[in-house]
Amino acid sequence: MLNEDKIKLMTSISLFEQKEGKHIFPVNRYFKSDYVSKYMIRSFFGYTFSYLLVMVIWILYSMDFLINQSSLESLTALGWRAASVYVVGLAVYLVVTWIVYAKRYDYARRGLKVYMAKLRRLEKRYEFQDKTKELEKGGRTS
Amino acid sequence: MMGLLVMKERLKVLYGRYDGFINALIRFLLAFVTFFMLNQNIGYMAKLKNPVVPVVLGLVCSFLPYGLISVLAAVFMLVHIYSVSFEISLIVGVLLLVIATLYCGLHGGDSFLILVTPILFLLKIPYVVPLLVGLSGSLVSVVPVSCGVFIYYILLYVKQNAGVLTNDASVDITQKYVQIIHSMLSNQLMLVMLIAFILGTLIVYMIRNLSIDYSWIFAIIAGTITQLVVIFIGDFVFNVSVPVGPLLIGVLVSALVAGIYDFFVFAVDYTRTEYTQFEDDDYYYYVKAVPKIAVSAPDVKVQKINSRSHRTPR
Repeated sequence: MLNEDKIKLMTSISLFEQKEGKHIFPVNRYFKSDYVSKYMIRSFFGYTFSYLLVMVIWILYSMDFLINQSSLESLTALGWRAASVYVVGLAVYLVVTWIVYAKRYDYARRGLKVYMAKLRRLEKRYEFQDKTKELEKGGRTS
Repeated sequence: MMGLLVMKERLKVLYGRYDGFINALIRFLLAFVTFFMLNQNIGYMAKLKNPVVPVVLGLVCSFLPYGLISVLAAVFMLVHIYSVSFEISLIVGVLLLVIATLYCGLHGGDSFLILVTPILFLLKIPYVVPLLVGLSGSLVSVVPVSCGVFIYYILLYVKQNAGVLTNDASVDITQKYVQIIHSMLSNQLMLVMLIAFILGTLIVYMIRNLSIDYSWIFAIIAGTITQLVVIFIGDFVFNVSVPVGPLLIGVLVSALVAGIYDFFVFAVDYTRTEYTQFEDDDYYYYVKAVPKIAVSAPDVKVQKINSRSHRTPR
């Protein structure tokens, strides 16, 4: 026999999984600090890669200027400037990453709570069903 | 109005029934228009200019997610640019890669705006982008929209200077980079458009979230006016010339498209707004509840009842 109540519950769980599962299930395997730092490491490499790419373009752009820099001091000054741009940009980008993924983690945690509550309700329904079945069986045999 | 609402309900039902097919069709159209427009405007690679190519690529793209369509379109564009000038394709490629690594990792859902913005520019209704982004998205989406504007002006630059770019083998290679980057960054029309788009998005977003009646309509109107004002001011300050006729038509069509979007997404009946007020231990609540307009599509069925005598005997 179809159990409408259970079907509704299971449908809602399945829809929830489909909609939110992509975000909430990975979160379940990590502590917040691990989750955020994983993405911060990724961001670090992403930023460094982008910085190098932009540097290539910048070097091509200012090739004449670079060739004409004869003294070592001016070149080292340029190097320091490039390094400071790199560090400041990296810091800003990492902070943004940290904020975004910390928020995402909290959001997913809340989603997970809702999901668990739904599952618990389903479990209760199963328990209830089992009990009624047992009672019915008992009734018939005695 | 009633007829329109009924039509909307019918469309909803239609979409519900054939959503897989309609989604594929939309993806095909988007991809086809993209590749076709690229071919029309910067089609310098003769092999790709064949009109069959956009159709085939569009068909392939109808099975792909939007992210992958964007990647394909980017590669397509780079190949075309490459056949004009290696230098520009390198710069654009680096720009796209940087956006992909820095932005799409954090907030990937709206990266298709990078693709859609230049296309709408080519269709002469770019002003719809800030309106729709302000109405539907988050403020962060300004980033891909700005990149889209930048890419459109790069394409325009390539289109206008294609002859010069292909033929100046004599120019020093470093000189070439200086020239290209300089003319890209000193494009004041691009600057004006960027400011207009960013301000427009901001205004639409802010007004949409206000608790006033008809906030979405007001947001569309204010966003449209903001863009016009910024472009006119830019006209005077930077002395860039934007032809007034196409501008006004483009703006009007954009506002109309945004109005249609508003009708489909945010149909509420402000005349039946209800106010209520209550309190709990910590707060007073002043609640404003605006009912959605709900219409059920008339479901007319014609049933033919034949009399028994007409039935053919089995």
